[in-house]
Amino acid sequence: MSQLNADTIVAISTAQGRGAIGVIRISGILSKTIAVEILGKVPESKVANYSNFLDINGSILDKGIAIFFPTPHSYTGEDILELQGHGGIAIQKILIDRCLTLGARLAEPGEFTLRAFLNNKLDLVQAEGIADLIEANTTEAARSSIRSLTGEFSLQIRSLLNDLINLRVLVESILDFPEEDLDQINTQHLLFLLNNLQQCLQRVLDQSKQGSLLREGAHIAIAGQTNVGKSSLLNRIAGDDIALVSDIHGTTRDVIKQDIQIKGVTLHFFDTAGLRNTDDPIELMGIQRAKQMISKSDLVLLIIDASLGLMINDVDILQNIPDGIPRLIVHNKSDLISLEQSKSSDDNHVFVSAKTGAGVDHLLNVILKLVGWRDLESGCFMARERHLIALEQARKHFENASNVICNIEFFAEELRSSQQALNQITGEYTSDDLLGEIFIKFCIGK
Amino acid sequence: MNFSGIFDVIVVGGGHAGTEAALVSARAGCKTLLLSHNIETLGQMSCNPSIGGIGKGHLVREIDALGGAMALAADESGIQFRILNSSKGSAVRATRAQADRLLYKQAIRRRLENQENLWLFQQAVDDVLIDQERVYGVVTNLGLRFSAKTIVLTAGTFLSGLIHVGMSNYPAGRAGDPPSIMLANKLRDLNLPVGRLKTGTPPRIDGRSIDYSSITEQPGDNPVPVFSFMGSSTLHPKQVSCWITETNQKTHEIIRKGLDRSPLYTGVIKGVGPRYCPSIEDKIHRFSDKPSHQIYLEPEGLTTNEIYPNGISTSLPFDVQVDLVRSMKGLENAHIIRPGYSIEYDYYNPHGLKNSLESKYIGGLFFAGQINGTTGYEEAAAQGLLAGLNAALQVKGCDSWSPLRNEAYLGVMVDDLITHGVTEPYRMFTSRAEYRLQLREDNADLRLTEIGRKFGIVDEQRWSAFEKKREAITKEQERLKNTWVNPRILPAEISIEVLGAPIEREYSLLELLRRPGVDYSGLMTLPEAYTGEIDAKVAEQVEIQAKYQGYIERQHTEILRSNQHETFELPSDIDYFLVRGLSIEVQQKLNKYKPQTIGQAARISGITPAAISLLLVYIKKGFNEEIQKSV
Repeated sequence: MSQLNADTIVAISTAQGRGAIGVIRISGILSKTIAVEILGKVPESKVANYSNFLDINGSILDKGIAIFFPTPHSYTGEDILELQGHGGIAIQKILIDRCLTLGARLAEPGEFTLRAFLNNKLDLVQAEGIADLIEANTTEAARSSIRSLTGEFSLQIRSLLNDLINLRVLVESILDFPEEDLDQINTQHLLFLLNNLQQCLQRVLDQSKQGSLLREGAHIAIAGQTNVGKSSLLNRIAGDDIALVSDIHGTTRDVIKQDIQIKGVTLHFFDTAGLRNTDDPIELMGIQRAKQMISKSDLVLLIIDASLGLMINDVDILQNIPDGIPRLIVHNKSDLISLEQSKSSDDNHVFVSAKTGAGVDHLLNVILKLVGWRDLESGCFMARERHLIALEQARKHFENASNVICNIEFFAEELRSSQQALNQITGEYTSDDLLGEIFIKFCIGK
Repeated sequence: MNFSGIFDVIVVGGGHAGTEAALVSARAGCKTLLLSHNIETLGQMSCNPSIGGIGKGHLVREIDALGGAMALAADESGIQFRILNSSKGSAVRATRAQADRLLYKQAIRRRLENQENLWLFQQAVDDVLIDQERVYGVVTNLGLRFSAKTIVLTAGTFLSGLIHVGMSNYPAGRAGDPPSIMLANKLRDLNLPVGRLKTGTPPRIDGRSIDYSSITEQPGDNPVPVFSFMGSSTLHPKQVSCWITETNQKTHEIIRKGLDRSPLYTGVIKGVGPRYCPSIEDKIHRFSDKPSHQIYLEPEGLTTNEIYPNGISTSLPFDVQVDLVRSMKGLENAHIIRPGYSIEYDYYNPHGLKNSLESKYIGGLFFAGQINGTTGYEEAAAQGLLAGLNAALQVKGCDSWSPLRNEAYLGVMVDDLITHGVTEPYRMFTSRAEYRLQLREDNADLRLTEIGRKFGIVDEQRWSAFEKKREAITKEQERLKNTWVNPRILPAEISIEVLGAPIEREYSLLELLRRPGVDYSGLMTLPEAYTGEIDAKVAEQVEIQAKYQGYIERQHTEILRSNQHETFELPSDIDYFLVRGLSIEVQQKLNKYKPQTIGQAARISGITPAAISLLLVYIKKGFNEEIQKSV
């Protein structure tokens, strides 16, 4: 007997963002279907299968170990699929999204254990802990829930919700009260309101810095005069020789890109050509491109030679960085200066040595901080992640709605679904609440 | 005196809930007694004689699909039929009939009198006999005692009814009937959750005093719609029009000046009225910037001149009523036949009921209709049918039945009533149904008739008609699925005309029908598509199902999800204060509502998913402990 079988849940079951391996666990009747979609087949039971993890188009997302535990011989007693892939949050998030699209939902805290208990997989002693677990998780979730969040994000969500309710009031009253002499509302007007909603939601998504950081990562330009060790530093960060390095000024002529994952955030580094006055046409092109990259980045690292300090050319570079883009001055070659001097790092100045690796960890932390990353507890992270998933779902329903405007019942259904998605962030909003809103706004009833 | 013999089911009250309850219980084979204080008012439409409308029409179709009387009675008595929302999609389309009050009453009465297993008796019920939290009979005002295994109480607005016209008030039932004071007092003694609601009616007007030349005519639809799956327009009596006039600034001024003598605005009325369907004084007061309100003038029958002015329900003093009516176009010389009034009445908060509509506290006692805080004939009749059926099922020793939220508006209504209770008169709207797209008027039979047949409440004639229709639908769907249209054979100009664009690959007819803008009749003009005439209702159903398929499939997961705890029963004797981890607010709510299942608990407002998890653990733990003890 398993009471919960109707629903399939998914979660990352390893610690967030750390570790080389990330395990995603799926439990419920859809586990087999999801296996077929992601692995191409249901793997042999209880055997570690090395497999490709596929995206919707059949391209490879990741490779890893898949294990299938059929009901009732699994932790929860239901069909379980475990996907062990690489540890980065971005890749795990893509896999989770894939499962959600295939019909699973994010597990509530402690839900796997709860299911195990309900399906007689745990004894009473073990079960004692479940109530504690649920309680603790609820408190944590409440702490990180939208209600306790302040600032722009929650304000925008509220205004979004308000606009959505207003639109639904219009649509539902058209459907439920055709006999009332309500002011005529045309589809153009409804589309206009929907369009506003879509824009508003897009703004929220864009401004949800953490969310976009997770999705897209941050773009970081490395700038500086020639021969200060930009490429060496990038190599040191990446742990791999990817940029050309030599002692000849102007070796780097192209923009070289390197992606590095730190704490689940993808940092896209661009090693730019050394900015100096030159007549070499090829190098000039490189410089031109570097300037473009700088203007589009989330952060500029100005690399200078610690032994020389800030020079007039460096000041030129700083002045060429557009306002509003954060900048960090990285004093490289700290191995060439006194130990005392090299420890005077602050939020604007960091001392490192690409040669010895000293200060590189600190540099990465400062970078994360400057691009807006907050090191959150995992519960809080998941709460945030839930919000983004909900917003993303709402966005899809808005998009669908705009395509079915000619059939107002379908339009209404998409709006209802979008509200349901947002309910996950803002709490329950019932059909009776909506009716109340209609009766306040319109004089209904013969 | 004891009336000899024991009835299986006694139904108290002969309104719309009572008559459907008595009919269904008798159809199910139970020896049934219908007790009403006045046999002449069985099936009486005490307010506006109209049946259906958005949400309500859906309920009528469901009653019909389960073999109930309302739709056929409407077909036999409707004098104006319209399909509301006819320009919108099928899910929100609804039938509405203006009925002849006398004809409707006759149609119901005829069914009652000819129903096997059903006895009628005229007596007011003063007492319900209860022993050890179970009913066993009733006592009437002459002291007659009737024994029964189950009782369905449908006392409507009669319980402690108090009528207000201006500042004067008097105890009364609906429309000139006496109130049920004794029964109300008795029920109050039982400590059931009782509350007070309010509703109202407009003054009635003599049609001969209306100047129709200056107001707008609203004829019925042509062809004339039909309500019942078994009905036809040949059942309809003569068809007439309704009329539309409107209030104006002068009307509003008259009302404002009368507010100091309004029982609503001077605090005399304590009961809660609905937020929709407000009295005219409410409309003017709350929507003061609206310059005018539409008023529908609806005939009450073919053999009466009485006109129901829909939209001016009021409890203002009579002199104000006269002035406000006469301030409107066409009504300058109107003669009022009956004054409008407000009525306050007792209701039993339905959170005290199971989804079978049986009381959680008194076994065998079922509640249906306005007594549960609902408003409207359709809402009442639907509950009556469910309560009567469940009373019969209990007598037969069968499990009770209630449709789920995704199966019927009836299910939505009962679930709303028992999981949220009632604070204002409850009326059905389609926006209450999250699965609106599948709860349509057109498929009520496909959703419910088979279930009704299983319970023995759908007769042979309806069943065979239904089976024939269902078979024809499946057959046609199969045909469309297996008929392929090849782009090389289909001429481009026909494709553009029917489908809006040329097709790029081979499609089945069913796939093409799913496309927006493609309809069944158009589809049949494609080469080789047409193989002979099929029933219009069948074609309609095939088309609608094709159009809705995508959305219905999408809702499937949501339905599974929300129904997953529906069968997980909660013992009725849980003390929720003992459940660890629940907040006090949640504990109090659960103790008040005593939900039957985890599913119901989850829908009570303020009950979080975490609370449900804790509840699951608690129940399961008790279950395990018991197993361990028994080992």
